[in-house]
Amino acid sequence: MSTALAAPVEPALELRDVRLAYGLREVLRGIDLCLAPGERVALLGENGAGKSSLLRCITGLAGNASGEVLIDGRTGRQHGREALARRVAVVPGQTDVAFPLRVEELVALGRIPHEHPLLGPREEDREAVAAAIRRVGVERLVGRDVRQLSLGERQLAVLAMSVAQGAGLLLLDEPTAHLDLRHQVAVMRLLRRLAEEDGVAVLAVMHDVALAAHFFPRIVLLHEGRLVADGAPAEVLTPERIRQVYGVDPSIVPLPLPARSPD
Amino acid sequence: MSTRVAGRVDAARPTVALLPASRRPVALALTGLLALATALVLGVALGNVAVPVADTLALLAHRLLGWPVSVTWPASAETIIVELRLPRVLTAMAVGVALALAGATFQGLLRNPLADPYVLGTASGAALGAALAMLLPIQVALLGFGLMHLLAFGGALLAVAVVYRLSRLGELNSLTSVLLTGYAVGSLLAAGLAMTMYLSGSHLRQIFFYLLGSFSLSSWQQLLVGLPVILLGCLVILGRARSLNALLLGEETAAHLGLNVRRERLVLLGAATLITGAAVAMSGLIGFVGLVVPHLVRLVVGPNARLLLPLSALFGASFLAFADLVARMPGELPVGIVTAVIGAPFFLYLLRRYRAGYAL
Amino acid sequence: MVVLDFLREKGKGTMDSLSQAPRPLAGRGLSFARLGLLLALAGLFGCQPASPAAPTPAATVPPTPTASPAPTATVPPTETAAPASPTLIPEAAWPRTLVDDEGTTIELAEPPQRVISLSPANTEIVFALGAGDRLVGGTDFDDYPPEAAALPDVATFTGVLHEAVAGLEPDLVLAAGNNFTPADDIEYMRDFGITVLVVYAETVDEVLADIELIGHALGEDEAAAEMVSEMEGRIGAVEAATAAIGERPRVLYQIGSVPEIYAPADDSFLADMVGLAGGEPITTGSPTAFSISVEQLVAQDPEVIVLGDAAYGVCPAEVAARPGWSGMTAVRDGAIRPVSDIIVTRPGPRLAEGLAALALAIHPEADIEPPADLLALCAEGRAVR
Repeated sequence: MSTALAAPVEPALELRDVRLAYGLREVLRGIDLCLAPGERVALLGENGAGKSSLLRCITGLAGNASGEVLIDGRTGRQHGREALARRVAVVPGQTDVAFPLRVEELVALGRIPHEHPLLGPREEDREAVAAAIRRVGVERLVGRDVRQLSLGERQLAVLAMSVAQGAGLLLLDEPTAHLDLRHQVAVMRLLRRLAEEDGVAVLAVMHDVALAAHFFPRIVLLHEGRLVADGAPAEVLTPERIRQVYGVDPSIVPLPLPARSPD
Repeated sequence: MSTRVAGRVDAARPTVALLPASRRPVALALTGLLALATALVLGVALGNVAVPVADTLALLAHRLLGWPVSVTWPASAETIIVELRLPRVLTAMAVGVALALAGATFQGLLRNPLADPYVLGTASGAALGAALAMLLPIQVALLGFGLMHLLAFGGALLAVAVVYRLSRLGELNSLTSVLLTGYAVGSLLAAGLAMTMYLSGSHLRQIFFYLLGSFSLSSWQQLLVGLPVILLGCLVILGRARSLNALLLGEETAAHLGLNVRRERLVLLGAATLITGAAVAMSGLIGFVGLVVPHLVRLVVGPNARLLLPLSALFGASFLAFADLVARMPGELPVGIVTAVIGAPFFLYLLRRYRAGYAL
Repeated sequence: MVVLDFLREKGKGTMDSLSQAPRPLAGRGLSFARLGLLLALAGLFGCQPASPAAPTPAATVPPTPTASPAPTATVPPTETAAPASPTLIPEAAWPRTLVDDEGTTIELAEPPQRVISLSPANTEIVFALGAGDRLVGGTDFDDYPPEAAALPDVATFTGVLHEAVAGLEPDLVLAAGNNFTPADDIEYMRDFGITVLVVYAETVDEVLADIELIGHALGEDEAAAEMVSEMEGRIGAVEAATAAIGERPRVLYQIGSVPEIYAPADDSFLADMVGLAGGEPITTGSPTAFSISVEQLVAQDPEVIVLGDAAYGVCPAEVAARPGWSGMTAVRDGAIRPVSDIIVTRPGPRLAEGLAALALAIHPEADIEPPADLLALCAEGRAVR
């Protein structure tokens, strides 16, 4: 399925036999994965399956990983740190701020890989910040201290920051954790728009299987450091796999819903 | 759906107007410059010997600007102004710049609002070095610096180096462990200091004097040696505003924003420690400047390091110059007391006044 | 070093003087408490070293018996030439009743044979009275006469060693007032039934009176009277010689120079010594402050600088090189002269010699017999301690 999509264009992300071990404990045992621009993939798996580690391998923060990670066809080393940061944006599950920081200041941090190292942001950077705020629809949050936002509002602000970063690949680590339903849906819809309209490849670690099945056209299932299934929600989320990966009675898993919703 | 369309259309045209006007950094900068100029003039004009203001200004114009003014003042006035007060005011300003910038850097680096230039053991290291110097039967005089200054400087740098090694700051790991290591090393050094003081006998007063900080021993010679060190460190820090900005959201996010976290952290830590050490060697331990000034500036312009750093430097300089002025009015108080007495209540006032929008 | 000793020596530790407002004691007593407090403050404001443990050494006001309690006069000596008034205690056979300088009455049944001295000045006085063989304990700062150094040390910088005192079974302890010997230590010894005589002089006259008091306590009244009259003669000669010169130059007596410059306080013992030695003392402008700003010094322009800290390594070349000092008359004229601070400030038998040394430092041309035991200071630019 992914190969069919990826064939005409260069993949936004390609993993070849990525392995990672912490001491003797193997966390990732050979992962192969390919994302085309504009593709949205949910990464599912039990706790400790290696989902977050996989993200760290992609951003190059897991220093002792082996295998190959290609972003737009080149390794992180070939890109260089700053160029890589212009191509890959990461949204952590939770963002803590130590100092009072306004929303627009937070969004502006996304321009750091673009701005002049000494002279700072240029006109285009300021425009990108404003555009990102509109894109995400958080105009009403402008001027507010990030630390006083609700978790949902804060997550949207962080998404605006990663939009401002202008990356073609967006990695998210449990972007809907702790959010109420309304904000979960808001985040999911935003990711869909970014992928469909701006061609951003999205790889999101998800815990909520139902939400993932509902909003993501493609699901990758990790289990004990191995990729056990990759495909449309209905193909991947079979009762047998659910039992294998999560160890729960498959009868409680809801049937995958159609992958589009009334908007 | 409609929002999406609107978003796209708006994104195409200049949309900067959406952002609110910046938080008056220009006004703040002008205020700071005015304060600095006032501190310079008052610092030179006032002291415990009265020199007429007209004489002071004429003298400065004569000596600094080369104006052909007829000499109407006694030679002692010239000595007092040019050799005693001017280097003193300028030293206070240089130290103020160093402490404020180092404070802002440590706060940003450690993501801790309570951090100050002394948080990683610089103060304890410097104090112990200075105290030991008083016990050593060695006399050193190097460009206006004695053994005490040199050991204080070395002690500050060494303490941070030890904390850095012990907490393995070189890797991405918990900042809490850094702070705890700093605290532990600081406590150990403090015990060493207490012991040294206990054994120091009649040098006790000298150690006290040093611990409380003072500019009464400033000289041109000292300033000319210390200033380049401070300038170098300050330039390094000012040139890394982007790194401090990236670190606002933590080290992992900073790495995602393209920062070489390990290198930047080492460079910033080194520069901040260097200027703290230089400041401490020149004037002893002066508290509160490095804590309060960055907060004050952040309150007005926000945490953006591109504004925070230069404005902190500006206000650090004028704050300490004024504090020194207050310190020498009633005779000669340790300036560390003045900074605390002025700084602490002011800080509390700011916290109360702004608590709605500014919580530590 | 010297500074700390000197500061401790100011003021008198009696209840009387406490209640008298302008006495320096209040300021002094405070100054140490204040230092402790300040250090604690410094600890609060981010300096790690000032952990709660740090202030302790300051708070306990340890005794420094380096120099002896140099008295500080609040009353200028009016008639030094006149014989010192005899002590108020009438001459009597044993047992004797004495009132010490703090107003405490003590009884001595017979001439004391086992005497402990808790200050170098007292040690000197006892030796000078010819009773050195009766001393069984001293301080670790006793340096004169040479045999005094051999005495077992029962007082060190950190306080009185009570076990050592008890072990020596003294029948008289000569302590120094104004917390030079900590008041707590004096009380502790008295609680043990040890007879303690507290000596503390604030003027040159009171130094002479103390010599007579100690002489009376030891039963050496005659020797004391003889010594006092000899000293009075010497003091009178110095005064006459300097008066003959007529000039009274402005004198900075530098008590210490690290970290700040320390000079005599207004109306202090040292200011009076400078006056007696024929100089116009430059003082700090306050009866309690000892530090003086270089600005003030420049404005007051000393004509002679006497280095009271010469014995601690401070020499004319260094003084002349200090920033801002080059314009002072004393520096331009090369009138920077070292003096041995011990004899100038120690309220003992050599005080008259100290006055002679000071007068010669101020007026090298004066017709004064040089003190016998003048140290060679700053011979090669830097004095050896």
